[in-house]
Amino acid sequence: MALPLPPGLTPSEVGFLCEMEHVTVIPRQTLDGLELLGGPTGALKPPFPTPLPLWLALLLKKQRRANITPPPWLSVDALTQILDFETDERTAELFSPSPNLPPATTTAPLEGDPYLAHDSLELSAPFLKDAATARAQADALPYHWLEIGHLLITHAPDDFEDLDAVRKLLRDLREVRMSKLRKGFEVLDAGGGVKMNGVGGMEIAEVRGFVGGVVDGLRKLNRSREESRKERETEERENGFGSSSYRDDEDEDML
Amino acid sequence: MAARLRGRPAHAPGPTYLSYTPNGKKLITVGVNGALRVFQHGSDNEPAIIDVLTDGHTAVASTNDFIVVGAEDGSVTKYSLLTNSMEEILVRCSLPVRDVSLSKDGEWVAVASDELEVKVVNTRDMTRIMHLRDQSRPVKHVSFDVSGSTLAVSCTDGIVYMYSLSSEQPQLIKRVDGLIKTLETDVEASAKVAWHPDGRAFAAPTATRARSDWQRQKAFSGGHRADISAAAWSPNGALLATAGVDKSLCIWETRSQRLLKSYDDVQNAILAIDWHPTDNVCSYTNNNGELFIREDFVPGEHAKHLRIALQPAPMNNDPLSEISGNARKQVGNGDKPNGVRRSAEDQYLDDLLGPDAMSEDEMDFIEDDDGAGYAEETNHVGKRTAVANGGRPAKRHAPFATWNPQVHEAFQPGSTPWRGDRRYLCLNMTGFVWTVNQDTHHTVTVEFHDRQEHRDFHFTDPYKYDKASLNEKGTLFSCRPSSQTQQRAVLYYRPHETWTTRTDWRTQLPAGEEVTSMSLSESCIVATTSKGYVRIYSLFGLPLKVYRQKSMPAVTCASWRDYVITVGNGSVGGDGTTRMLYTIDNIRRDELCQSEDVVALGEDTELRSVFFSDKGDPCIYDTEGVLLILLHWRTPGQAKWVPLLDTKTMDRLASGRKDETYWPVAVANNKFHCIILKGSDVYPHFPRPLLVDFDFKIPVSSFPAGAADDEDRDAAQQKNLEEQYVRASLQHSLASDLVDNTNATSAQKAEVPVMEREVDKALLQLLAAECREGEERGMKALEIAALMRDRTGKMLEAAGKIAARFQRDILGEKITQLAERRLVGLVDEEDM
Repeated sequence: MALPLPPGLTPSEVGFLCEMEHVTVIPRQTLDGLELLGGPTGALKPPFPTPLPLWLALLLKKQRRANITPPPWLSVDALTQILDFETDERTAELFSPSPNLPPATTTAPLEGDPYLAHDSLELSAPFLKDAATARAQADALPYHWLEIGHLLITHAPDDFEDLDAVRKLLRDLREVRMSKLRKGFEVLDAGGGVKMNGVGGMEIAEVRGFVGGVVDGLRKLNRSREESRKERETEERENGFGSSSYRDDEDEDML
Repeated sequence: MAARLRGRPAHAPGPTYLSYTPNGKKLITVGVNGALRVFQHGSDNEPAIIDVLTDGHTAVASTNDFIVVGAEDGSVTKYSLLTNSMEEILVRCSLPVRDVSLSKDGEWVAVASDELEVKVVNTRDMTRIMHLRDQSRPVKHVSFDVSGSTLAVSCTDGIVYMYSLSSEQPQLIKRVDGLIKTLETDVEASAKVAWHPDGRAFAAPTATRARSDWQRQKAFSGGHRADISAAAWSPNGALLATAGVDKSLCIWETRSQRLLKSYDDVQNAILAIDWHPTDNVCSYTNNNGELFIREDFVPGEHAKHLRIALQPAPMNNDPLSEISGNARKQVGNGDKPNGVRRSAEDQYLDDLLGPDAMSEDEMDFIEDDDGAGYAEETNHVGKRTAVANGGRPAKRHAPFATWNPQVHEAFQPGSTPWRGDRRYLCLNMTGFVWTVNQDTHHTVTVEFHDRQEHRDFHFTDPYKYDKASLNEKGTLFSCRPSSQTQQRAVLYYRPHETWTTRTDWRTQLPAGEEVTSMSLSESCIVATTSKGYVRIYSLFGLPLKVYRQKSMPAVTCASWRDYVITVGNGSVGGDGTTRMLYTIDNIRRDELCQSEDVVALGEDTELRSVFFSDKGDPCIYDTEGVLLILLHWRTPGQAKWVPLLDTKTMDRLASGRKDETYWPVAVANNKFHCIILKGSDVYPHFPRPLLVDFDFKIPVSSFPAGAADDEDRDAAQQKNLEEQYVRASLQHSLASDLVDNTNATSAQKAEVPVMEREVDKALLQLLAAECREGEERGMKALEIAALMRDRTGKMLEAAGKIAARFQRDILGEKITQLAERRLVGLVDEEDM
């Protein structure tokens, strides 16, 4: 039996997933390392900052056993810079790029890109390490930026230097980026596409329902026309007009 | 810097004037409304207000204890700074007062008013008045020279009258004509004479003149396009700040008359400028009732000018104390365009006398002659007025600073100075101690990072503790002796946990002795004192040892378990500052680990902090932002300072956008823990900033991290590996030193082979990089292989494998040979 939920992840599920991200915590009391399913955590020894999964950090924060250091990209300076990039005319079409990929871990002593090697295991978002710890890149929004930002602002407001400015900047960023996404909807078509480089997990979850619905609806509307075109193509192929419509096929396959 | 600039509305809009007290603690502003404001230096608090009966104040001059204020109603009033209240009206003129000037000793005040005569009034006995009546028109400005024996009177007829006040009967010694412009008394432009702090020269709005022969010496030209409204020499005379009515503000270098910096963010015409006697702070007031306190007034690259000692006549710094009376000088009118050029004679003289001759050397010479102690340099005027002045009375004062070795000030590691009414007494990895000044007492708060282990505490502190030291076991405080209460310096130790009722204790130092720095370790308490003693106590207050430090005065100390490092001022180096020497002592074994060894600091760098790392190695941090650790310090004579991190080369600063420095806190967990200071801050402040940690990076090479193309990236990677090798070797030798010299724990012993492996790992990676480069790098690759520390042969085996993987067969063979020789015990030390 089908679940009543729409396909894909709901925002709350995305929010749950982002709690696996590591954040940097300044402990306020000692705690030995824990053997968790997600891997062991480091021992807490004040005042040495330690990376912890976000869920654990929030738990400790609630019990006032730790302070959470907001990641560098969640500072007023960094957010302003990113917002400038998003609103700049020259880059109006783009989302601000996601963090740089780490250098390849697989050493490829000989020629060849390590990312293409068969035995390599190179991570990309959302599995990047240090996306939200104190070592995170300051000038890029990681995959879970919206969720982490929201959770930290709600649960650790006293750890921010300028809470209101951060909150406002986050909201601005969210609106700017959503409007960009929405602008992309205008070109939605059975064969259209929207470039979503740098879009975060929550943003995808938010637009998934709408975009999926629109594309599906368009597909349904266009079904008869497509079917007739396919028939025509089959006929043509049979008649020996071979490869003329190769590109059309590919486009349709994309969605 | 600009961001920090803020005007402080001090008075109702209108002409406003200011004066720093000679000790630099207070800043007094006067304006059109009926109140004086007394700002505390370094505090953002609201200033104290003295409500007065007069308004329309036109001049202020101050000593440490009182100020003298002139007003448009013609009164000159003396106010006490101790009680912030009026003391007496010194003199009353029939016309508005235009300027007042105090002699350096605060004995005499000169009053310029719209009357024709200048009155010089004794500040203690107002019945003693001297009248100076030689000028034909009202006087705009008066200015005492440093010695207080000469008074420069800028008259509205465009002549500067020089009076000697050294005898009972004031005597006109010189009329300097053609120097200043003819100005009305109430215009904003100024004609005030600004005496150079060394007393041999003065600057006037149009020119500087050498004082001895009243000739113009040098011109500071090209900075202003309109009349000059104010000018002031820096306390040491090395710099001159001038402001014009065109809303410009310039800093000049005295020695070269070069324009160092021009500020363009001035909103209103500046009427008065005054330098802070010691800090890089300059304040000015404008004609809109606002006060600007400009911190870091002199840009960083020139700030050294402020630190040099009093310079000879033209330009050197002079001690702050000298500025009280005449430090603040207003430059009168704007410079005249033609004033800039130097006459041929000047140049000729320059040639004869060398670069600084006119201003400095010549003046010295002259000064000897006339004994009056006043050579003025004229800054801006083109003409020289060569009038020999008649008999100069005046005993000469000795305005030049005698050569004085610079001694490093004592400091307490981890503490900050007062800012506002708060300061940190101690800030480290255990917690922090801060104190709040409540005037009659202080309140001390101790907070811990680990809130479970220790409980924060707070107490009222009648002793006004000014130093503290905190660790896991307890807190140590000390206070100064106080002459008022006959209280002696006290050490107070408060343990955090006790199993008896109360074990905190106090101990008094002998009378007259003061704690200059102290430290607390797990086993002892160390205090260095002003008498040069090092006093060591047990944690329960038992005096263990007293000895005199060999290098005095003491600068600071730190301790870790039984090891105590004391730093003191040693012999004087070539640059006039003392070399800092340190001694490391094991107090339990009574052994000197290092005796009077040099704290390796570069030129112009100061020690910022001394502390022990969590592994017990002494570390220092200097003002250049370099963290150094002491290697091999347990063997006498072997110690050397090794840089662990140069914060200026960190990647985060590479973009050049960040302007930040770091305040050292600790070295722990192989990281440098510090507090980031934005802009020009030197000390952290409230609210308590977060601790940040950085990995060590030995400054082996400076390679930009974010290199663009592959080749650069490879090279950067290579440099990275090299740095890793050096760092691992350093850590290895630190760890093996520890194990060799102490009863190390098993964990510490286990660390040595781990570090050894780290070294070899870095070498292997370097080897792989060399192999990748090509066959021709084989020699270097072999050298790298020979550096391997591992004696079991496994690492060399791995090296052979790497060579085989890159098909470097010859190299592989040689590595195998090397491995075999090592295995059979042919130690390759001679090969290396």
